Amino acid sequence: MRLNDALLGALLIGFAGWVWWLTGFFPRFPGQDYGPNLFPRILAAGIGLCGVALVLRGLWARGPLISLEDWIRDPARLLSFLLLPGAVLFYIFFSDWLGFIPTAFVLLLTLFLWFRARPVVALPVAAGMTLLMHWLFAGLMRVPLPRGLMDSFL
Amino acid sequence: MEPLIQAFGLVFDPFVLAVIAVSALFGMFVGAMPGLTATMATALLVPVTFFMPPVPALGAIVTATAMAIFAGDIPAAMLRMPGTPASAAYTDESYAMTQKGQLNLNMGVNLVFSVAGGLIGVAVLIAAAPVLAEFALNFSSFEYFWLACLGLTCAVFLTNADPVKGFLSLFIGLLLATIGIDPSAGFPRFTFGEVELMQGVNFIATMIGMFAVSELLRGVTSLRDTGQVIVQQVGNMFRGLGDVARRYWFNFLRGSAIGTVIGALPGAGADIAAWISYAVSKRFSKEPEKFGTGHVEGIVDSTSANNSALGSAWIPALVFGIPGDSITAIVIGVLYMKGMNPGPTVFTENPQLIYAVFLIFILANLIMLPLGWAAIKSARQVLRTPRNILLPVILLFCIVGSFAMTNSLYGVAIMLVMGLFGWFLESHGIPVAPLILGLVLGEMLEQTFVQNMIKTDGNLIAFFSRPIAGALGIATVLIWAIMILRVLRPTRGGILRA
Repeated sequence: MRLNDALLGALLIGFAGWVWWLTGFFPRFPGQDYGPNLFPRILAAGIGLCGVALVLRGLWARGPLISLEDWIRDPARLLSFLLLPGAVLFYIFFSDWLGFIPTAFVLLLTLFLWFRARPVVALPVAAGMTLLMHWLFAGLMRVPLPRGLMDSFL
Repeated sequence: MEPLIQAFGLVFDPFVLAVIAVSALFGMFVGAMPGLTATMATALLVPVTFFMPPVPALGAIVTATAMAIFAGDIPAAMLRMPGTPASAAYTDESYAMTQKGQLNLNMGVNLVFSVAGGLIGVAVLIAAAPVLAEFALNFSSFEYFWLACLGLTCAVFLTNADPVKGFLSLFIGLLLATIGIDPSAGFPRFTFGEVELMQGVNFIATMIGMFAVSELLRGVTSLRDTGQVIVQQVGNMFRGLGDVARRYWFNFLRGSAIGTVIGALPGAGADIAAWISYAVSKRFSKEPEKFGTGHVEGIVDSTSANNSALGSAWIPALVFGIPGDSITAIVIGVLYMKGMNPGPTVFTENPQLIYAVFLIFILANLIMLPLGWAAIKSARQVLRTPRNILLPVILLFCIVGSFAMTNSLYGVAIMLVMGLFGWFLESHGIPVAPLILGLVLGEMLEQTFVQNMIKTDGNLIAFFSRPIAGALGIATVLIWAIMILRVLRPTRGGILRA
């Protein structure tokens, strides 16, 4: 998915305005002219200028407002793409409750199978990688990976 | 002398050597797999090295990146797919050599000149860094302000032909760096009441998102229909190398010199070095018509250049805390995490650590010869690693790595947001590297800027009053002027189109 330069520029101008507005709430200190809002405001102005340049360029070039690549029209490829952020969201929402080992196993197995790995390969690799990752991070490096349902076993 | 002996003790320790060996294998693998970059290797290594003392942590990064930049040449020659962007400049040339039946010679040239170029970059790092550090001890906030400006400007100037999008990326990076407690007044900016945002956007989770997750997103749409790869077996790769070395020794020196200079420039790294040295090689060649037909000359130049850039990129990183490329941007993050704030004082306070980095660099380049040989010999097997297994495993590694950086789901969320954002930027032709440099240098730039404004009472002319600061400032302003001209006359291409 690709936005036209003009649309992208307009969004950036809006964003820069929003940042500028937010800096209005930063405190001022008497006798100190250069406070916490100075630098962000310079950057907001810079982003706004880039936005203006993109709007001008986009209007000059006159392309379509949004152009879609071929893969977005193909449902299988679109799903392949969405599965990655989906998998991360699954981890974010379920790992605390399920625990690391079940979450990681389900995550890997689903992705392997969707990407057409044979189940004979997918099952042992998903199990092996999950345990390896758990051993490396929770065992060796003492990262507090969530235990969830597995709490009583570990 | 004593710090050097200490450094030997630090490096030749069984644990450190084991870490170096494992990271070498890891770097070779990541570099050889198309779609996985050296920067990604570094970003994925950081969560693991986070729990190590500084020397093995830095050793892992140095070794893995040196191997990855070389290993990127292997699939370039065999599959016409660069393993890392640093090999992209001469991928077609390498592949044309393979089609002419010169794969053996091509692999030999890539391996030997990568090692030799890498050693030249290291030699310059060893010679230049301590001298510059002594010089930099006298720098004030004016010099650091202009150095940061110059570094960030170079990042935009050298990486992209479109300055508007480059600057946009830079400004967004600098703005991201302002999130959290502000350095001068201690006021929490843009945190929206979130406690986790008070300490700023987690840098490593951001890097994992921008360099690993966004790369996975790009590769994943074609994952279900990738076929089997067929790769030739490599024979004796050292036959005929002597002739190449005798004929093209000057190309090797020129490539290494260009690589070293580009690497040391803040903001540009191995990939730009390879493009520029390839273009230079073609322009000054006696036989420019042979370029593109499988001619070894340009490969000698550029394969030496990308490895030499790797070492010299550490010069500005160690001496000024200004990254030479996106890999050293991560290194700077690691140095801060280890309490070794980069800057000239590191050379006086912790010289043994600096010497240890130098030693690891030499070691990494030396073991590249046997390991690279083994990697080329086993490329048939390695390149057959199924990507439908590899990509999900990398995704899980990204998740766990980001989690480990904050010990909370906040790291994972940052990684996801930054991964999608990085993918969005790249699909709009907006480069990610300036954003990352902005994120690393944002605090330094703002702090020195505000300090200077207070010192000079807002008089911008006074920013140029010290001699070195003035020279750096004028150089920066000149580059700005060139870029503004380029925007106004966009038909003229950048260096990379030469």
